[in-house]
Amino acid sequence: MSAAVAEKIDDDLWSAIGDPTRRRMLDLLLIDGDGTATTLSQQMPVTRQAVAKHLGVLDRVGLVRATPAGREKRYRVDDAQLARAVAQLSSVGSAWDARLQRIKRIAEAIQRTQQD
Amino acid sequence: MEFGTIEREIYVEASPEIVFEVVSSPDHLKQWWPDDARYDPTPGSAGEIVFGDPEAGGGVVPFTVVDARPPRTFSFRWTHPAGETAAEGNSLLVTFDLTPSRGGTLLKMTETGFREMGWEIAVLEQQYQEHVKGWDFFLPRLAPYVATLRVRP
Repeated sequence: MSAAVAEKIDDDLWSAIGDPTRRRMLDLLLIDGDGTATTLSQQMPVTRQAVAKHLGVLDRVGLVRATPAGREKRYRVDDAQLARAVAQLSSVGSAWDARLQRIKRIAEAIQRTQQD
Repeated sequence: MEFGTIEREIYVEASPEIVFEVVSSPDHLKQWWPDDARYDPTPGSAGEIVFGDPEAGGGVVPFTVVDARPPRTFSFRWTHPAGETAAEGNSLLVTFDLTPSRGGTLLKMTETGFREMGWEIAVLEQQYQEHVKGWDFFLPRLAPYVATLRVRP
């Protein structure tokens, strides 16, 4: 996979998991084990059509896997892809944690120098 | 496009004046973040920060100072496309708020913007963490990012 393609997928993954409705759907799928647009829409304040659209987004980035179930599709969370998405998200938060730790160290070192 | 906010707070045993200097001056900035920083720490000043060697695959990232009120607030925008004026919608906004507390400073950092913009930069930074490895004191004691991410559709 070229770097450009990898980056595009990462952007899409980021976007897919950034949406609160889709995160709620992932939660429900993890709790229930699997679900269809119909079963998910019964547990959420959104229409079946909207849920189906969100499932399409999650499917495209590999966060869920679909199997045919009658006239519908049954979805499960792809554990490996979810773990990857969470790791990517946490890297941005931890980057700021690391920067703030360095700011603290530098400022406290200057403060000590001025007190001596 | 998703709008997200990262918020962090840290207590620093140094005066707000010192902390302000550390978060705002280009010379200090490159001690805690990029390899190089070129900007004037005054509102509206446009500059850039540099990760790695631009001649060898590194990156130059636009950086524009939004507000500078010593020793209370320093904010800037970054990641806007080169040549564009930084504004909401094309960049991430970072705000440092400093509050005197117990003889030191409570430093609050907020980064807001469309998360998609941060990704490419995060990858770039990841590649240039070498100069950071000497800082073995910042062992990650991190609240999981996902728990603190607030997203606005």
